[in-house]
Amino acid sequence: MIDGTRLEGRIRVERDGSVTVLSGKVEFGQGIRTGFAQIVADEMDVPIERVKVILADTAQTPPDRGTFGSHSTEQEGPTLRRAGAFARRQLIERASSKLGVAADRLRTEQGVVRDGDGASVAYADLVTDAPLSGAIPDDVPLLPRERWRYMGKPRPALEAVDIVSGCARYAADVRLPGMLRGAVVRPPVRGAKVRAVDDAAAKAMPGVVAVIRDGDLVGVVAEREEQARAAADAVDVDWSVPATAEGETIVLPLREDEGVDAALASGAKKVERTYVCPPIANAPIGPSAAVADVRADGATIYGSTHRPFGLREAAAKRVGLPPEKVRFVLTLGSGTYGRSSSFDAPMEAVILSKNVGRPVLLQWSRAEEFQWSPSRPEAVLEASVALDASGGIAAWRYDEHTNIHTSSGFDPSYGGESTGRNAVPPYRVPHAHVTLYVEPTPLRTANFRSLAASENVFAIESLMDELAHESGQDPVAFRVRHLDDARLRRVLERLAERAGWGKPRGERRGLGVACTEYHGTKVAEAAEVEVSPSGVVRVLRMWAVVDPGSVVNPDGVRNQIEGGMQQSASWAVFESLRHRGPRVLTSSWDTYRIATFRDAPLSIDVEVAGDPSAPSSGVGEPGAVPAAAAVANAVFAACGARVRELPLTPERVRAAIAAR
Amino acid sequence: MKLTLRVNGADHEVDVPRRATLLAVLRDDLGLVATRFGCGSGQCGACYVLADGAAVASCLMTVDQAVDHDIVTVEGLSQDGKLSPVQDAFARESAMQCGYCTSGMLISATALLGHTPSPSEDEIREALAPNLCRCGVYGRAIRAVQRAAGAT
Repeated sequence: MIDGTRLEGRIRVERDGSVTVLSGKVEFGQGIRTGFAQIVADEMDVPIERVKVILADTAQTPPDRGTFGSHSTEQEGPTLRRAGAFARRQLIERASSKLGVAADRLRTEQGVVRDGDGASVAYADLVTDAPLSGAIPDDVPLLPRERWRYMGKPRPALEAVDIVSGCARYAADVRLPGMLRGAVVRPPVRGAKVRAVDDAAAKAMPGVVAVIRDGDLVGVVAEREEQARAAADAVDVDWSVPATAEGETIVLPLREDEGVDAALASGAKKVERTYVCPPIANAPIGPSAAVADVRADGATIYGSTHRPFGLREAAAKRVGLPPEKVRFVLTLGSGTYGRSSSFDAPMEAVILSKNVGRPVLLQWSRAEEFQWSPSRPEAVLEASVALDASGGIAAWRYDEHTNIHTSSGFDPSYGGESTGRNAVPPYRVPHAHVTLYVEPTPLRTANFRSLAASENVFAIESLMDELAHESGQDPVAFRVRHLDDARLRRVLERLAERAGWGKPRGERRGLGVACTEYHGTKVAEAAEVEVSPSGVVRVLRMWAVVDPGSVVNPDGVRNQIEGGMQQSASWAVFESLRHRGPRVLTSSWDTYRIATFRDAPLSIDVEVAGDPSAPSSGVGEPGAVPAAAAVANAVFAACGARVRELPLTPERVRAAIAAR
Repeated sequence: MKLTLRVNGADHEVDVPRRATLLAVLRDDLGLVATRFGCGSGQCGACYVLADGAAVASCLMTVDQAVDHDIVTVEGLSQDGKLSPVQDAFARESAMQCGYCTSGMLISATALLGHTPSPSEDEIREALAPNLCRCGVYGRAIRAVQRAAGAT
């Protein structure tokens, strides 16, 4: 096990003077590799071009719980900064002995230690006897902000040139000697058991190496991908379909103030509303894929997952090897937004490879990706709010009804942070009851960008808009009067300026706002929409002001926030996963519409307003959180239609117009 | 069956099942893995290649159809190790996140600029509309194509 609290577990100075940074986190396009390189290049004082970042290779990087919650920079940044500063200090100490010059007379300059009199020694020449090592101290002095060369400045992703030139490698691009291709035979429903397998026809097909039955997994391994698929279609499996278990609803109070009922009853105005979010698909452009090479004495898995060390444990258990004999090597990953917290495709590749003793590449089909991967669950959000005579919030009851949002099971001690994420509003509310109901579902549901925050914030921010309108208050001012958090207030007020809040937008056009705090990041967003007479919603422009604390890569932040807004606008306007009981009916892009180039807003304006005195918080998810409410509120501003159920289809908008 | 494919300016002899898709042959026989599988039914654009300068879905073209065309993949866009203006512009604009859909976008953009050197924003949107991106970099990609158009 690599020790991430020690320098040798974090940073290596190679013999050629380049620097290798080690982290157990995972890159799917959030830009953390670039951010980590900026941090270490600055603290060690080396050119960033000489910094290489190795992520999530279980044989080389320290263990990590997983890449989720937009925590990577927040969790790894401080450690890497201290590691870099500690490395630089050690290099100066070594140079001091080597040059015979007191350490306080030495300085570093882009990979070289110098004294004032022209003597110098390169970092590479200071590690020939022994690598840098030692416990990373908590109190090592960090580089002051005015000396930052890379941190705080925009930087294109380190992978960009590889990606555009065609050199980048994703899981399905891995090619190993003797590698075969796998395909899985899917049952009629999840959890079905194998009674019998007739593989005679499949075995006789060209290229087929083996038809495998391992427990309730049936698959084919063949020389070519199309051969494996054709043979999988020819395997005849007799499945026994289990009775669906009912399951129980878990009720978890998230906030229980005294006197809520009385305050609700005595308010000057009471507003009751229900909001609905449908199940939606993570819908990565690259279907899940992995390569597994399982041998008697060890195994290697190539791919992309949010939980590399968890996958290693699970794979080791499944194939009967000790975990240290199993290595997970991260490839680039198609953005999966939470979907690859589940180990399904990699574990299937592991089982197929184990049975043939050769490396196997398995990539799911598009239909498998829609129908067999977990989706974001539906949510029904019920709210009752009382306003006092001055239009202030007096009481707040909020019930979140949804299904489990995490692949790792429901942990009540973490329930408010996972399946109940952002159910408690960021506003000052004197009496509040917030309750999470985790209900059973036949659908397979798990992690998707921001977990339940997107649903809860859609409901809460739609509700705040409604409360303002119901009481004749300005929606921005209404939010501001209930916000104690000065940073969140500042981003909302700045957003209102930036988006031209209050400015007329023209016929059938409107501007809506929404804001939230997500894991420390403050974000406010606005959307301008046009609603056609037939109810079609077109998102014309979007704005965001975001404060993620101290910023490592401003363009990386902008890219993540823009992308989150674009994705969330797509959820809001188009997306709904069709299913009947446990069966997902959606199987192709034909029946799962997402936003395209035609739908992309004319502009997405992001102001990065990070508070430099605050620690870095994440940006991978926050951009996606308030956008749906901003769009729905803009629809109301455009035409008076309050749509409380997503997506904002023309039918729903027309019905809401009729109900005005 | 044995076939000769013209890919990235060179002839390649392959011996593959007759109904193999061009995508499978590029990725599995020629090692040109930057052309990516996304859906297998021409709905996402991840597998686009140039066929005689036009962007086509290589998952829908069979290898025996492909022999009649001059095929170019992302690996063939660079000349003498130098990125093409479209590749360079996408990198400079950071017009990507995960990058899985980027190859297809580069192909569509290259095809567009091949026949329309100074496209309007609407023409860019139309030309790239078949390329789905889930990370949401559409705005950046439009700017990248505009930058490339300015450079060509």
